[in-house]
Amino acid sequence: MFNTNRQKIMDRTDILNQEWKTRRIQPVHIMTSVGSLRGTREVIPLKTLNAVASVPVMYSWSPLQQNFMVEDETVLHNIPYMGDEILDQDGTFIEELIKNYDGKVHGDRECGFINDEIFVELVSALSQYSDNEDDEEEEEHDFKVEKMELCTSDHHSVISALISLSVCLSVCLSVRYKELTEQQLPGALPPECTPNIDGPNARSVQREQSLHSFHTLFCRRCFKYDCFLHPFHATPNTYKRKNLENQVDTKPCGLDCYMYLVQVSQRSFIHSFIKYHSSVNCCSPSSVSVFTIFTSIKQMGGKNSSFVRGNSRCQTPVKMKLTGEAEAVEWSGAEASLFRVLIGTYYDNFCAIARLIGTKTCRQVYEFRVKESSIIARAPAEDEDTPPRKKKRKHRLWATHCRKIQLKKDGSSNHVYNYQPCDHPRQPCDSSCPCVTAQNFCEKFCQCSSECQNRFPGCRCKAQCNTKQCPCYLAVRECDPDLCLTCGAADHWDSKNVSCKNCSIQRGAKKHLLLAPSDVAGWGIFIKEPVQKNEFISEYCGEIISQDEADRRGKVYDKYMCSFLFNLNNDFVVDATRKGNKIRFANHSVNPNCYAKVMMVNGDHRIGIFAKRAIQTGEELFFDYR
Amino acid sequence: MSGASCKANGAVYPASSAMMNSVKKPKMEQIQADHELFLQAFEKPTQIYRFLRTRNLIAPVFLHRTLTFMSHRNGRTNAKRKTFKVDDMLQTVERMKGEVNLPLFIPSQNSENEQNSVSLEVLLVKVCHKKRKDVSCPIKQVPTGKKQVPLNPDSNQTKPGSHPSLLVSSNEFEPSNSHMVKSYSLLFRVSRTGRRDTNGLVNGEANENIDVTDTPSRKKRSSSHRDEGETTETFVAQMTVFDKNRRLQLLDGEYEVSMQGMEDSPVSKKRATWETILDGKRLPPFETFSQGPTLQFMLRWTGDASGKSTAPVAKPLATRNSESSSPMETRTSNHRAALMTVKESVSTDIQTRKEQVLCEPRQKLRIFYQFLYNNNTRQQTEARDDLHCPWCTLNCSKLYSLLKHLKLSHSRFIFNYVPHPKGARIDVSINECYDGSYVGNPQDIHSQPGFAFSRNGPVKRTAVTHILVCRPKRTKPSLSEFLESEDGELEQQRTYVSGHNRLYFHSDSCMPLRPQEMEEDSEDERDPEWLREKTATQLDEFTDVNEGEKEVMKLWNLHVMKYGFIADNQMNQAIMLFAENTGAHIIRRNLCRNFLLHLVSMHDFNLVSTATIDRAMARLRQIQEELPDIEEEQQDQTVVSAGFLELEN
Repeated sequence: MFNTNRQKIMDRTDILNQEWKTRRIQPVHIMTSVGSLRGTREVIPLKTLNAVASVPVMYSWSPLQQNFMVEDETVLHNIPYMGDEILDQDGTFIEELIKNYDGKVHGDRECGFINDEIFVELVSALSQYSDNEDDEEEEEHDFKVEKMELCTSDHHSVISALISLSVCLSVCLSVRYKELTEQQLPGALPPECTPNIDGPNARSVQREQSLHSFHTLFCRRCFKYDCFLHPFHATPNTYKRKNLENQVDTKPCGLDCYMYLVQVSQRSFIHSFIKYHSSVNCCSPSSVSVFTIFTSIKQMGGKNSSFVRGNSRCQTPVKMKLTGEAEAVEWSGAEASLFRVLIGTYYDNFCAIARLIGTKTCRQVYEFRVKESSIIARAPAEDEDTPPRKKKRKHRLWATHCRKIQLKKDGSSNHVYNYQPCDHPRQPCDSSCPCVTAQNFCEKFCQCSSECQNRFPGCRCKAQCNTKQCPCYLAVRECDPDLCLTCGAADHWDSKNVSCKNCSIQRGAKKHLLLAPSDVAGWGIFIKEPVQKNEFISEYCGEIISQDEADRRGKVYDKYMCSFLFNLNNDFVVDATRKGNKIRFANHSVNPNCYAKVMMVNGDHRIGIFAKRAIQTGEELFFDYR
Repeated sequence: MSGASCKANGAVYPASSAMMNSVKKPKMEQIQADHELFLQAFEKPTQIYRFLRTRNLIAPVFLHRTLTFMSHRNGRTNAKRKTFKVDDMLQTVERMKGEVNLPLFIPSQNSENEQNSVSLEVLLVKVCHKKRKDVSCPIKQVPTGKKQVPLNPDSNQTKPGSHPSLLVSSNEFEPSNSHMVKSYSLLFRVSRTGRRDTNGLVNGEANENIDVTDTPSRKKRSSSHRDEGETTETFVAQMTVFDKNRRLQLLDGEYEVSMQGMEDSPVSKKRATWETILDGKRLPPFETFSQGPTLQFMLRWTGDASGKSTAPVAKPLATRNSESSSPMETRTSNHRAALMTVKESVSTDIQTRKEQVLCEPRQKLRIFYQFLYNNNTRQQTEARDDLHCPWCTLNCSKLYSLLKHLKLSHSRFIFNYVPHPKGARIDVSINECYDGSYVGNPQDIHSQPGFAFSRNGPVKRTAVTHILVCRPKRTKPSLSEFLESEDGELEQQRTYVSGHNRLYFHSDSCMPLRPQEMEEDSEDERDPEWLREKTATQLDEFTDVNEGEKEVMKLWNLHVMKYGFIADNQMNQAIMLFAENTGAHIIRRNLCRNFLLHLVSMHDFNLVSTATIDRAMARLRQIQEELPDIEEEQQDQTVVSAGFLELEN
């Protein structure tokens, strides 16, 4: 085999060498195979390989560009190995470590050696070789062996015990097997799950139920479902609409539009209404009124379609029959669910709803709407009484706000607490509000009104937001692209050159870093291009762990003399040991060229590493760990 | 470099001698133990420096004379640079063809000749070793040039540059192919046409030929002036350049040679003395200068070639301590230039500076080296009174230079200067913080052999910055900088070179980063693959979320991760982009309603407007129409689109 491969390689290189000869490229020399060890003399070209310096030790880690929150570990995942001598001498350390986890170490469950997955796999694998009757037996046999190992104390009693044990075991196991395999049947869902709306089993459910998964899993802060950073997601029910945008199409969507139907009903009975509506050139000023009219008509009872034909305001000759009678249309579960979902968003814009459902006309939707009328909520009425805010008041607010930041800055303790959106309906953000107590501003994610006094209103800079003139900069916050609309934080999403210099972390405008053995210790990180003073270099990313977890982990890291822990705020710590980005390799220095700053970035505390002075190409980066 | 190379054999090892001298008479074991300790401490680095010295002799890395603290070893000035023009280079090159000697002659004022000039011929006489067949030593005469030289010029009028000069190529001093040359001498032959008798000196009427020596093997030569038909007076003088021992006799300087009439006393190699016999009468040595015709010239050795090919090579390697070798070496390293020129022309700065150096009084410093090892055990060497580096035998000439050299070139040791009544004491200890790390192109070590000759087209190489010129602020040289600092703090030596002078590694695999990979940042990827997988598995773990929802959620999550949306006001755009990118997939996987649910949910969170929902769905339908094959596959989809079409019409 080797020789044939060898031959192939030789042939290939010969061909290549031939070709190269014509192109004047240095040919490849292949070692001649050492065919016979004795007798013939072999000539082998000598190739010198340079000695390559070994690189520092690196424990594996996963790359990450954003923080990743992990839960506290309840069991010790592994007993850290720190060399034999430590293990021998310092047994107490390990003991203490295990004590931290209440004595729980990963993998020491009693029956840990066979889990459900392996069990199912084993049985199905065995069933290939034996009949149906046998497979339980085989399985049981396997188990017997394992059990035997467990109790080897006295052999005599064991055997008799095993026989009786095996009988009941086989029963137990077969039941368990059935359970497990049945669970794996496709399509079978736990009862609490809403069936797929696009699937064949779609049921007609309420709006909340249809949207339940989407609502509960969606993270309003990350825009992701089941995000990596925020364990608690607020549901949208309590979010207030800023603007009511459910305008109804004022024109009929087609000849079959439900609006004609409404119109007809109106005409046949209330002439004055018709006149009014024709004068405003539409069937109704708002869907609400349509509906109210319609219901009033309905209450009167009776519809006439023939009357409509002649007096229709439509210019086109009406060919189709616009019967007031609801057609017997089959509404599938999916359609019904979808309708309920959409009616909660579009209210009485039946044309739009019909368009979105796709399989039903607006008339059918309308009729279905009538049927369902009892359940569906009205569109919330616009509160007319909110007066247009005056500019002056806003300005005053702004001024007080700026003062507030200043005060907060000055008289603040060093404690910075994690931000959690507040949710206290119908209560202003006062001393009971978690945001206020934690000395955080209310963010756009809070459930309080946008008028909340504790809200951070963003900046109105036209400059680069890199001085204390900028309220965001002063409050150690990055500019919020939804609040700071003038500084450029909300512009140029694609390009790197944004006028605002205070939005680098959120945009991930990091510098290119290169990894190499450090001049100081272990690995180091080096910058590829020169940066100016105070320029953003990278975000220090990692796992976000609780302070308690950090204490536990820190014990091990201290022993290793290598820690990637970074205090984020009073509640959380960033640990770049397992997950992180390249900046984790920056070494400590008392005379560093970088500094770290914990900033509030759109509701999250994040660690930015900035240049302390101008840094030149290829310099190693350091910051003060303390 | 040649200065260093002169003394290849001159190293005296401090280790052994130092050891033995200082220890008096302790027990044998104690000596041995101490010796062991001493060797342990100093043997390795010393061996390394010994090896490096040899290597530097063979293949020098840099020239010592270019170092600022060794500037006295540099014989050139940069004064000419100010007036330098590119055209000068051509002239220089043209002049260089001839090389070495530029003699300028003036016969002495003694000759009261009306003639303005006489003809001077300079011959290089090579006396070769006798071969077996030869009766006497074979002599070769090599004419080097003939010039008209002003006779008795007015010293005030002559300008430095106006004198004729002659060059003798250094090649002439190299061993000739046929004979081993024993000695070289210069033969000056001045011939004057006309019959005037001056001072009763010999007239050379009868001079048949201008044979200089009477050696039989000599070739006959006829000089050109003989053909003129007029009587020619010929005076000769001979000066030895290299003697039998190949020692250079003719150093740079001004010379005045008394000339002798031709037939009077044929110059032979044996009689190349300053004594002259005039008219059969022996004159006291300096008498001739006042009476006979003299020739004034200035001799300078020029160019590197002479230094290499003549004196230094020919010279037997002197021992370090020998008194004679030192001036010799100084000479060769400093003035390899020789120029014959007139007395009056001594005004060039080269000339003056040379003299300065020569005249510099040599400091008779005694230098003690004290070796510190094994917790301050001290060993002191015998004093040496020269300024040679003990490790590489480089003559540093000055104490400051020596200390600087030791510190910079032998950084495996720490040197501390301690003033000493007789001179200086240098404490030597091992530098524990020695950093011998490689500072060259990192790629050179790591690139696999043959990589540069890659057959897959051109290969990018790592850019490495090498400093060509660096002018850091220099403090005035002072010996105090070598004194042991009190605080014991090592002075920070920051590298002047910035740039990527190191090999980088991939952060994931720890593999060396190849130059062509320099531009790619592994962190440009916002969503690493494991994270994409993680979000999918994390969603899959939910039991109460149906597969349609999961699929849309996964698609959306990947979409958000890919583009990294950060603001609420990006959402409308994000949704449209989502419909655009994944629309076809959503339709194929039959997820349209889930997609709609997702949009409505987003709307519920107040992130998108209904207009966006409408537009996104419209776009989805549009994509659907553009995918005709899907309709055949999926029946219900056809119904949807048909229903939609109906509505549209």
